[in-house]
Amino acid sequence: MRKFDADAMGERLLRRFAGGTSRRGILARIGTALVAAPAFPLLPVSRADAAKPDRSPEAKTAFARSAQSKDDTKCDYWRYCAIDGALCTCCGGGIHSCPAGAEPSPVSWVGTCINPDDGKAYLIAYRDCCGKPACGQCNCDNTDRETQLYMPQLNNDVIWCFGTSSMEYHCSTAVLVGAAS
Amino acid sequence: MTRTAVRRIAAAGVGCALLVTGTTLWAQSAPEPETSDVVKMEPPKPDWFFVDGGWNMPGTSIFDGGTGKMKGMVETRRLADFAMDPSGKYYYVSETIWSKGDRGTRQDMVSIYDTVDLKLQAEIAIPGRILIGSRKNNFIVSGDGKFAYIYNFNPTSLVNVVDLSRRKFVAEIELPGCASLMPNPGVGFSALCSDGTIATVAVNGTKSAITHGDPFFSATDDPIFDNFTYDKAKNQTIFLSYTGLIYTATMGPSPTVSKPFSIQAAAGIRPGETKPLELNWYPGGRQPMALHRPSGHLFVLMHMGEYWSHKASGSEVWEIDLGAQKVVKRHVLEEPMNNIEVSQSAKPLLFLNGEEGTAVVIDTANWEQKHKIEQAGAGTITVAGAS
Repeated sequence: MRKFDADAMGERLLRRFAGGTSRRGILARIGTALVAAPAFPLLPVSRADAAKPDRSPEAKTAFARSAQSKDDTKCDYWRYCAIDGALCTCCGGGIHSCPAGAEPSPVSWVGTCINPDDGKAYLIAYRDCCGKPACGQCNCDNTDRETQLYMPQLNNDVIWCFGTSSMEYHCSTAVLVGAAS
Repeated sequence: MTRTAVRRIAAAGVGCALLVTGTTLWAQSAPEPETSDVVKMEPPKPDWFFVDGGWNMPGTSIFDGGTGKMKGMVETRRLADFAMDPSGKYYYVSETIWSKGDRGTRQDMVSIYDTVDLKLQAEIAIPGRILIGSRKNNFIVSGDGKFAYIYNFNPTSLVNVVDLSRRKFVAEIELPGCASLMPNPGVGFSALCSDGTIATVAVNGTKSAITHGDPFFSATDDPIFDNFTYDKAKNQTIFLSYTGLIYTATMGPSPTVSKPFSIQAAAGIRPGETKPLELNWYPGGRQPMALHRPSGHLFVLMHMGEYWSHKASGSEVWEIDLGAQKVVKRHVLEEPMNNIEVSQSAKPLLFLNGEEGTAVVIDTANWEQKHKIEQAGAGTITVAGAS
């Protein structure tokens, strides 16, 4: 009697796996992952190249001149310089946290925002939280360096719920990626 | 018989007579029992305008700009795109639904409604479409009405080609770095690109070839609004940039772009700039411009502000004579407006709506506000004969 049959175990696992999945579904997921994975790390980098920012007070936008760093439930919080949508901080989530039951999008649009505390610019990834109806609280629409659809990584109107189990938009977070220069 | 008794008998007689007469009259004018029926519409008229409900309201409402009355509604859900058959027979809706509300199996399609009964005629399945809303150029119909082009972003940049006459999906074309589509008759379609060029896609059945022109604008420093307008008669596309530059592209296998002019300079003030702290008049809103094709006059929503305020609603409408490159009228709006369209009739009517969904109709003959419609919808506006 054989106590351990690796072939049989492998066959059982594969059969169970094959029975519960479709080739098309797997291909779609792998395809999404392949497309999404390289896109995200490149986005802030390409933005940093494009910006060549001037940090003088005279170069600050109207938003940056009046931005604050104390209350992240307000539209004028410094990281929200290019956000569009409901703030997750007002919906039960946090500045980089989705509310319970929602799912963060692995890809996002980005902004370059100036922190008034140190005067430096930072790359912010605006990751949508997905899978619940629109939160509706604290709706903001800030447009610093926000462009149009032919440059989607800098457009804040796109529903960015790609690679998530549902494309329903719930709210937006503002994740600090790093210094812009 | 006393006099009182005589009076009573007489009164009773008159009463009976009135009762009989009344009964007869009631019997004669008894209303017919009603049956429920359904109105038939006329095909779209030049003075009608179609208002997308926007983020908060489903449906695209049809209004008569002449009377200010609602005529009907086309079924459009949140983030759907709406287009019209140039011959006026069909309304087209590019939309996305899921088998379980907002989850389950995703289905993307072009739904076709006839313009008289507003009944669903067909659904053409497509592989996907972008979810964004408030964009006029993600779903365009060719001038001959035979093809539709639907932009997709998943997040690869793609365009779906649909044969409307055969009601079939034809091909999916990868179009990296480009979006915002415009018709290009006899060729296929063109699009704006992040490298500042126009991409032209020659479509031949399921095959396609992409060429790019020379860069003519900066997609990061002075982007062109993607809600630009196309003029079928002249085969030209009119672009407007954030600073207020107006470009004219003549379509063809290799589109050519004219030297731009400044909308502010055309009004006799200093041109718009990209620097902060430069307070000036800038174009803005979601659908910031409308072209009256017969006269070549462009109507633009303008607001006072600094650069990067491109989504701000307009407090004025500027009318530009494109041929003369002059602003011929500045009209102060009663309240800020976010979308603008214009009827293509000889006496153009302006249609505008704001973020709260209130629409107004302005007669450009005397610039009087003819109608104000609450709850019309906050989304983009479409008119007949505008492509």
